[in-house]
Amino acid sequence: MIALRDVLIFAGLAALAAAVVASLFPAGEVVTPVPACSDCAFKLTGGYWIRQYGDYAALYLGTREVARYGWAYIDGRPLSVGESAACGSAMYLWVFGGAAYVSCDGTPPRFGRDVLNISDFPGPDRPLVYVYVSTDVTSGCGVTINFDGDTGYATVYVYDEEGRLVASRASAIPGSASFSVSKAGVYRVRIHAPPLLDQWHTLTAQIRISDLIKARVFTSNNTQDLRPTTSLKIFDLTSYWKRGYSYVVVRVSPFWWPLYVARPADAFADFLLAWEEDSSGWTFDVLYWKEVWRLTFTQTNIVLTHISSQGGYWHEVYVDYRYGSNQPGVKTLIWTWNKQGPKHNSYTVHWISTTVWLESQDSTMNARASFIKECLWD
Amino acid sequence: MWSLAYGLIALAVVAFVVLYAAAHAPSIKTANLADQLYGAKKWLASNLPSLPKVDSTPRFRTSVNVVRVAEANAAAYDYRTRQWTTFPVYLPVGYRLERVGENVVYQIYLNVTRCRYTALPRGEPAVLYEIELRHSLDPLPWLDVYAAVPHNLTQYYSWLYIYYAAWGRPPAAGLDPIVGADVGFVELVKVEWASVYNAASDTAKLYVAAPAAALYVLLVDYPLKLPLTCPEQIASASASSGSQRSDTPVIGPPSPR
Repeated sequence: MIALRDVLIFAGLAALAAAVVASLFPAGEVVTPVPACSDCAFKLTGGYWIRQYGDYAALYLGTREVARYGWAYIDGRPLSVGESAACGSAMYLWVFGGAAYVSCDGTPPRFGRDVLNISDFPGPDRPLVYVYVSTDVTSGCGVTINFDGDTGYATVYVYDEEGRLVASRASAIPGSASFSVSKAGVYRVRIHAPPLLDQWHTLTAQIRISDLIKARVFTSNNTQDLRPTTSLKIFDLTSYWKRGYSYVVVRVSPFWWPLYVARPADAFADFLLAWEEDSSGWTFDVLYWKEVWRLTFTQTNIVLTHISSQGGYWHEVYVDYRYGSNQPGVKTLIWTWNKQGPKHNSYTVHWISTTVWLESQDSTMNARASFIKECLWD
Repeated sequence: MWSLAYGLIALAVVAFVVLYAAAHAPSIKTANLADQLYGAKKWLASNLPSLPKVDSTPRFRTSVNVVRVAEANAAAYDYRTRQWTTFPVYLPVGYRLERVGENVVYQIYLNVTRCRYTALPRGEPAVLYEIELRHSLDPLPWLDVYAAVPHNLTQYYSWLYIYYAAWGRPPAAGLDPIVGADVGFVELVKVEWASVYNAASDTAKLYVAAPAAALYVLLVDYPLKLPLTCPEQIASASASSGSQRSDTPVIGPPSPR
């Protein structure tokens, strides 16, 4: 009669025999060998270690080689030839494309670079600064630089064409710095926020003269007879005032005495407008003095000043006047000569742009020019 | 009695051997990179319509899983009130997307830096998109570029207006309600593209020449499909078409083709 007792004794003796026999083999022979696979992950417990050779990496259990791979990496770093790596209790191993990736704490290897610079941005402890710039042309050429960031301070330096420092402003971050340039020109602006930011920008404050009809712009004397293509000579005096002259002599015609123009008190830009009324006049006749006007951009307005009117034809001078920033411009008659009409010796346009028309009996000499103040940041 | 004790001891030894062997056997599981990559892209594709849309560059630069948009006005025919209406739409112009699988980091950065009119060698007018492209995985085996040419732009916007009216927020062209929902309104044309890598600045630019009538280009990193628009071109196109409108269009249900 075979009792449960006999079964247990038999099973126990058999297991003892198996354990004794197994212990005679090299270590670990009883466990499943590591298959040489790809695209798989293992958790290896026991005395596993990996060694990199010149052309392969070998995984060992004790002294026995269990698998070979193309190359071994530990924590994302490739092993150098002759280097070995082992873990304490468990070794995590991923195999992709024949290469082995080892990690001791179970962190999986990840493929892919960080192209979004995620590690650069989050967290309040990472200093960073952003700069936004806004410009305002309604008063001089105003620039506001907003700094957005966590901490620090920034300094803004403004240099003119000749390298002179014209303004410097300091600001905490976050914060903002404002400055205004009072004269047209090209300025170099340095934004310095050590150690994060040191950039150079160009600020162009200018009057753009466009929409020219029978008109030309000069930056120095011109006495030529340019009829019939040109009836209006526009002389840009801004650069003389910026260089420090207190007055300039402008020659508009070879037959007329020169014009003495004094420096305006506070001008953003300054122009002299000299106009000829007649296309059929004699060439030795006095030219370009039939209407002489001065157009001065102050910080906020445009002022037209009458200097001289001559000649036998009737003249009309118009400007584009704007009653508000959202209103359309109106062509307004401000000066007449040899006829009935308004006679404003000085006229102010409260806006950043205007157009000047000079018209006469000889309509072929009608001239036009548009002036607009611009403040460009690059 | 004694034999029962021997039996129990033998059973304990067997249990120990079995448990020891089980604990020390390597545990195996598969890790399929291709599957993980597909899963990451599929997750992004399914979540694309719900990603936040930003129109400020700093927020776009600091956030992850955002869509950069430009706001524009579109003209549509509202056929409940039976009149023309103007409503805001978002035009997607950039993406910063990330999805991390177990063994793969999928990141894609797309930003339309410039687009302008150009002519193809055959003389057809086209819009050249210059798109900044950064990708966490260098090979882009799936990249395909299509241009979505609407059959009728007014019809397209009138369809989009329904979503604007329903949601009360501007819908995004090409993205809302889901990518590919406009299949009845647009025709996808395969377009030519070239990727230019500048080693000096470590940037890759994708140049896409789309037909001038295209509303957006669709970048396909299968299964992820990303529409990108050219706001300047759309603004000028709608400005020119807006002045010509005087008739009432016939707007029927979309007819898939």
